This record gives sequence, structure tokens and C-alpha cells, in this order.
Amino acid sequence: MVVAAAALRPQLEQFLDRPAVAHWATVFVAIAVQAMPFLVLGVVVSATVAALVPAGFLPGLLPRSPALAVPMAAAAGAALPGCECGSVPIAGRLLARGVLPGAALAFLLSAPAINPVVLTATAVAFPGRPEVVVARFLASLLAATVVGLVWARIGRDELLERVLRRRSEQGRPLAVLVATAQHDLLQAGGFLIVGAATAATLQTVVPRSVLDTVAGSDLLAFLALAGLAVALAICSEADAFVAASLTQFSLSARLAFMVVGPMVDVKLIALQAGTFGRGFVVRFAPLTLVVALASSAVIGRWLL
Amino acid sequence: MTPAGGLISLLVGTVLLRLTLTGTYGRYVRLGMGPWLAVAGVAVIILGSVTLLQALRHAHPVDAHDHHRGDGGDRVGWLLLAPIAALLLVAPPALGSYGVGRAAEVEIRSGGGIFDQLVPGAAPVPMTLLEFGQRAFDHDGASFNSAAVQLTGFVAAGEQGGFRLARYQIACCAADAAPVVVRVIGPGGGHALDQWVTVTGVFQPGGGKVPELAATNIVEVPAPDDPYE
Repeated sequence: MVVAAAALRPQLEQFLDRPAVAHWATVFVAIAVQAMPFLVLGVVVSATVAALVPAGFLPGLLPRSPALAVPMAAAAGAALPGCECGSVPIAGRLLARGVLPGAALAFLLSAPAINPVVLTATAVAFPGRPEVVVARFLASLLAATVVGLVWARIGRDELLERVLRRRSEQGRPLAVLVATAQHDLLQAGGFLIVGAATAATLQTVVPRSVLDTVAGSDLLAFLALAGLAVALAICSEADAFVAASLTQFSLSARLAFMVVGPMVDVKLIALQAGTFGRGFVVRFAPLTLVVALASSAVIGRWLL
Repeated sequence: MTPAGGLISLLVGTVLLRLTLTGTYGRYVRLGMGPWLAVAGVAVIILGSVTLLQALRHAHPVDAHDHHRGDGGDRVGWLLLAPIAALLLVAPPALGSYGVGRAAEVEIRSGGGIFDQLVPGAAPVPMTLLEFGQRAFDHDGASFNSAAVQLTGFVAAGEQGGFRLARYQIACCAADAAPVVVRVIGPGGGHALDQWVTVTGVFQPGGGKVPELAATNIVEVPAPDDPYE
């Protein structure tokens, strides 16, 4: 394989001489490289919980009633500094450890959106507009809580069977840690590559100027920026800067961009499909998208 | 999959570490990410080595795949080899002129502050394209005070009587890059697209949306270690 790769090198170099291909390759590698430290953090935290935290400890931290547990889990997302790649394996571990699925999913959605690092970045990107930070925090928290409660009420937990049935590994804690982290890293990493390739393709193929044609209409702009957030798959720590640059759009539309992005995007859909299963994602992603849009509309109208 | 998986992790970690040590990672992510990439690289190398050693020793490694077997979840790890192959063979370049017309440009006015007056007659002041743009929009460039400034960026497009100079701002990685563009008017010209140049000149008021620099000197330079601002 190494020989074949070496033989292909001149062709590859020629191929990369085309500006569009080089642009695609740079964005693809950038998303993959950027996500790795967060993904590693996520799988190591998840594996450490698997190896060291006794079974039954995590579910005991939350109240039994979903009406209390889901908002608490959503608010707890504020304590995980990082972006969306890290929260997927951690939420998977919470599920495997018997945390109420609605609560674990609320945590999954809120953690990348409302942590202090992301809110600080938002404040920097929108200087002198603290209401944008407040609106982002409230709209994300609201959307995560609503999705969690909806799942607790009507969600089908058998769709999560893959993670729920995952038994605790047996063995010495260190061996469990290594085996779990290794397995999760490859699985999540592989799907991350699918997501990075998709996002790079969309970024290269679709010119941003397409957006200008819809900037005039409020509803279209709102939907277009949500679609952009899904397509671009920008890290939640960086999306506020992109939102700040989309000046032809209303603040409400840009709020939708910042609320949807950390919850639903092509990279996350791939990661979630890999961790939780496809049957889950085809229901969960549309539900999350609709709730995130509604939440941005309500909070945007109220605050912005 | 276990020995192969260990090998993939080992490769991933090695490439991350190599990117950090050679400084190539600056083409893809913010320079501040360096230490985190190195830590992640080392962690993944340890993970891969331990897995590989256990598999080779025929010890019974802890089986973490006791959920559905054959759901395709394990094979997907091989995809990690795609960016590794790309990076080992030809490291993709930093973003260049191709994306300048396509990405949303930096909103210069949003970060505007109050700038100190420059002193004319002193040595040219090096500054980022972003600062140049922000000063240009602050009271129509009054803070330049006709002092000479120095900008470094790449040639994004040729133009009548000059060219467009650009440099990307990134917040996390190249996926969120947004270009800042300055119009350079002056001698020379004929620089290749994507050629890095350092331009010395003075701010020219009245340029409209894209700030203008009247160049007195244009030097071709190698691409900087940090191609972004």
C-alpha cells in the first residue's frame, strides 16, 4: 500500500494544483485536525468514566422525574468546555451508564452551545451586543431542554439500543480504559472523516454569494442560515465569528445559525450515526432542527 | 481489527505530532492549538501502542466491541487513513485566492475601536490587514495621519493599476476562514496569484468598501509560518 501511495504521489500533486481541489483538501484536513484534540478529550473522559466510575453512580446524580432531570442535564452542559465533537462520546457513555435518555440527549445538545468558552467567543465576535450572548444561551438551553423532554415523552429508546445495551467491560481499570478509548476513537474518528469530507465539499462547491439572494426575506433568510449552519459544520467555538460576518442578515437569522450549528450539522450527523446508530439519527436530527429553529425564533423575537 | 486498529491509532498520533513539530499545522488551525494537538498526538500514540502490544502478545485484550458485531462500526475507522495519506504525501497548502471571492468577508466595522494616531515620517508601521481595514473605516482613516504602513498578504486577484491583497482571519480552523481584502494601487504588478508579498505604502482615502493602499514598494516574500491573522 505504501508503494502504491508513493507511486501515486506525482498524480496527487498535480491534482492538488487545481485551486478547487487544494481548497477542498485544506478544509477537509483542517476540520479533521481541528476536531482531533476535542475528540480525544471526549473519548478519554468517556473511557475514564467506563473504567473508574461505579455503575449506578451517574443515574443517581439526577432526579427520577424527567421534568426535573432533563433541564438539570441541559444546564450541566455549561460545565463541559469544548465543542460538539467531544460531547458525542460523553453522551454515549452517559446513556450506557443508565442515565435517562432524554437527559443525556439534552446534555449532548447543550454542552457545545452554552459552555463558557463558546459564550466568551460569542461576546468577542459581537462586541457591545451582550444581548446576542444572552439570546444564544437561552435559545440553546431551551432547545436542548425541549428536545430532551420530547424524547423522554415520545422517544423510542430501542433506537438507542446500540449504546444502551453496551455492557460494562470487565477487567483491570487501565485495560478497560485503553480498550474503550481505542474503540471509541476509531469509530467516532471514522465518522468524523465522513462529516469533514461532506462539509469540505459543500464549502467548496456552494459559493457563499448564493446567500445574498435570500437575505431580503426574513423567513427565507432564517431558513437559509440554519441550512448554512448544517452544511458548514463549523466548530461551535468559531461559529459566532462567521455569524458576525454575515451582516446582510438579521440578528434573529444569525441567532438561528448559532443555535442550530452546534446541535445539527453534517459532521455531527455522521458522528451521531456512528455512535448511536442511523435509525436514531434520522429521527433525532430533524426533531432537533425544528426545535432549534422554533427556539431561535421565539428568543430572537423577544430579545433581538 | 484490534492490531490493525492499534496501527491506525499509532499512525494518527504520529501524523498529529509531526504536524505540530514541523509547524505545518499552522496551515489548518490556529497556532494556539499547537500544544493541544501535541497532547492529543501523544495520547493517541500511547493508545495505539498499548493496543498493538497487547494484540501482538496474544494476551486477551479486553473486548470492547461486545455490542452488535458486524454493524460496520469498526470498519469505519479505516477512513482515518484518508487525511493521513493526504498529509503524508502532499500536505495541502494554506487557503489561497480561490476562496476569497467565495467566502463571506470579515466584517471590519464590527470590531472597530479607537486607534492611536500614527507618526508620519517614522519607519513604516507593520500591521495586519484587519487593522488596516479597521483604521480605514474609523473616521475615514484619520488615524493613519499619512504615515507609511507595511502589509503582508497574498495576491488574490489582478486589477487595473494594481491588485487585490488578501489574508484570511481564522477563529478555530481553515473551515471558518474569512478573508480581509485590501486594494493595492501602485508600481510593479504582474505578481502571480497566491504569491505572498509585503507591501509598503500609505492609506488612500475614498476607496469605498474595499480600503486602498497606494504602494511605494512591493517585495515578494515566502509564505509566513502563520498564513492567517
